[in-house]
Amino acid sequence: MDQAVSGFQRVPAEDLAWLGTDPVPAAPYYDPVYFEAERQAVFLKNWIHVGHVCEVPEPGSFVRRDLEFARASLLIVRGRDGAVRAFHNVCPHRGTQLVEEASGRQSKFSCPYHMWTFGTDGALMSAPDFEAFHVEKKDCALREVLLQVCGGMMFVNFDAGAAPLRDWMGAYAERLEQMPVARATTFAEYTYDIEANWKLTYDNFQENYHLRFIHPRSGGAGIGGANQFGYPVSMGFEGPHRTQRIWSNPEPALKPFQRAGAMRGIPPLAQAGLLGLPYERDYLAFFPNLFVIGTPTQPFSHTVYPIAPDRSRGVVRVYWVGDDASASQRFAREYSLAQIRDIHAEDIAMIERGQRGLTSGALSHIHFQSMEALCRHLFNEVDSRVQAHLARGAEAA
Amino acid sequence: MMQNEALLPPAFAGLEPFVERWALPRTADRAARRSASTPEEREAFFHAAGPRLDEALDYLDARALRDLEGPDRRLMDLMLGLAHVALAVEIQGPDEVKSAPWRDRMRIVRSSADQEAA
Repeated sequence: MDQAVSGFQRVPAEDLAWLGTDPVPAAPYYDPVYFEAERQAVFLKNWIHVGHVCEVPEPGSFVRRDLEFARASLLIVRGRDGAVRAFHNVCPHRGTQLVEEASGRQSKFSCPYHMWTFGTDGALMSAPDFEAFHVEKKDCALREVLLQVCGGMMFVNFDAGAAPLRDWMGAYAERLEQMPVARATTFAEYTYDIEANWKLTYDNFQENYHLRFIHPRSGGAGIGGANQFGYPVSMGFEGPHRTQRIWSNPEPALKPFQRAGAMRGIPPLAQAGLLGLPYERDYLAFFPNLFVIGTPTQPFSHTVYPIAPDRSRGVVRVYWVGDDASASQRFAREYSLAQIRDIHAEDIAMIERGQRGLTSGALSHIHFQSMEALCRHLFNEVDSRVQAHLARGAEAA
Repeated sequence: MMQNEALLPPAFAGLEPFVERWALPRTADRAARRSASTPEEREAFFHAAGPRLDEALDYLDARALRDLEGPDRRLMDLMLGLAHVALAVEIQGPDEVKSAPWRDRMRIVRSSADQEAA
């Protein structure tokens, strides 16, 4: 197939040269000092994805989210006023964690230790023998953490002075709002623990250079023809965020059952107006650790939460609009979920091998080619924040 | 279950030998069974049930999904099991054995198909 037929043209390297071309230091991918600086300067200062509004559909609906990078457990709850808020899952009396359930629906939350009881807005409603304390009820509300929503996705920010979510997202806010995730009412989820740095893990999903080697069988529609590596057709950058448009093989090598299975999901998607959306071939990467894919048959998000310099947890969610309405739709969703899980499973072996190599200290630097520009952009955005943070620390010392 | 009750709707009686192994109620169970089966078991199921997919889904689509029970419900679960097994046989092929342990580390914690599962 010639290039005109496939429509593929590689993004010119000179368009990406502004990101730099030098080797990138290896230590940030395993060094505990660097990891601690990232925790403070990146994860505690930016908007971090924690869930989807469809998880808290009604007043009193709540989810508990434990975030290792903040050493925090959050209680995310929809109030009687309809607003969704995040609170530290901590009783202000003496620090006891309030909620053990992962999710549920309650009109109030009582600490099991001394029965301090809070409303869905976090206010202290009652506390036994409260007159004996030396504090007022209004000062005993649950401690709130900033939570804002865009495109159905809930984000928290531990920096009380942070700029609003939409300002931080820039032009990508509108794109996210036009993806299927913004209309999702339910989702499937799988999670994995991985012995690897969060950036190394995340980077695997920012470059297509590995596709033909790691996904030769499962990567069917995204490689081949005039684009043997399955490189993206375009890349873009917006502040600390980035995007790429995924190339589609015009003559994908689909297997018979795979094709039959996929076809079963198409009519319900068409009926719901989910085909032909403007960003349906786009990958949106929100700094630091979330990306969202707009593909209608497999609209998913992938978040990589840091746990330790060489340990992370991945959460993948495939979003659906409406409950399963027919056997065909249920089948197509099951196939789609199992298929993307297969592909991700192929990646994690390589990522852990990469971590073992890096942690050995054998390398002072690693290398990114122009088609790994998204990985370089993430490093640049992290490193500028870490270096500024370390410089402030040095000044203060 | 009554002793002589059909496991599947009559038109699909030929797939009954696969029900016990492959018609499981939850997505995570179906994914786990794929890994816990032999290549021969997967191939036998795929080759018998794969060609019946369209027919089975057409049959089930004519019924309300929420009300599926007994033989119809088992046929639905069987086709959902087939989704996993098809990936193993048709896509992964010789790589299936090698990739299974990595895939098992991806824990399915939620699926839209589990909503009405017992």
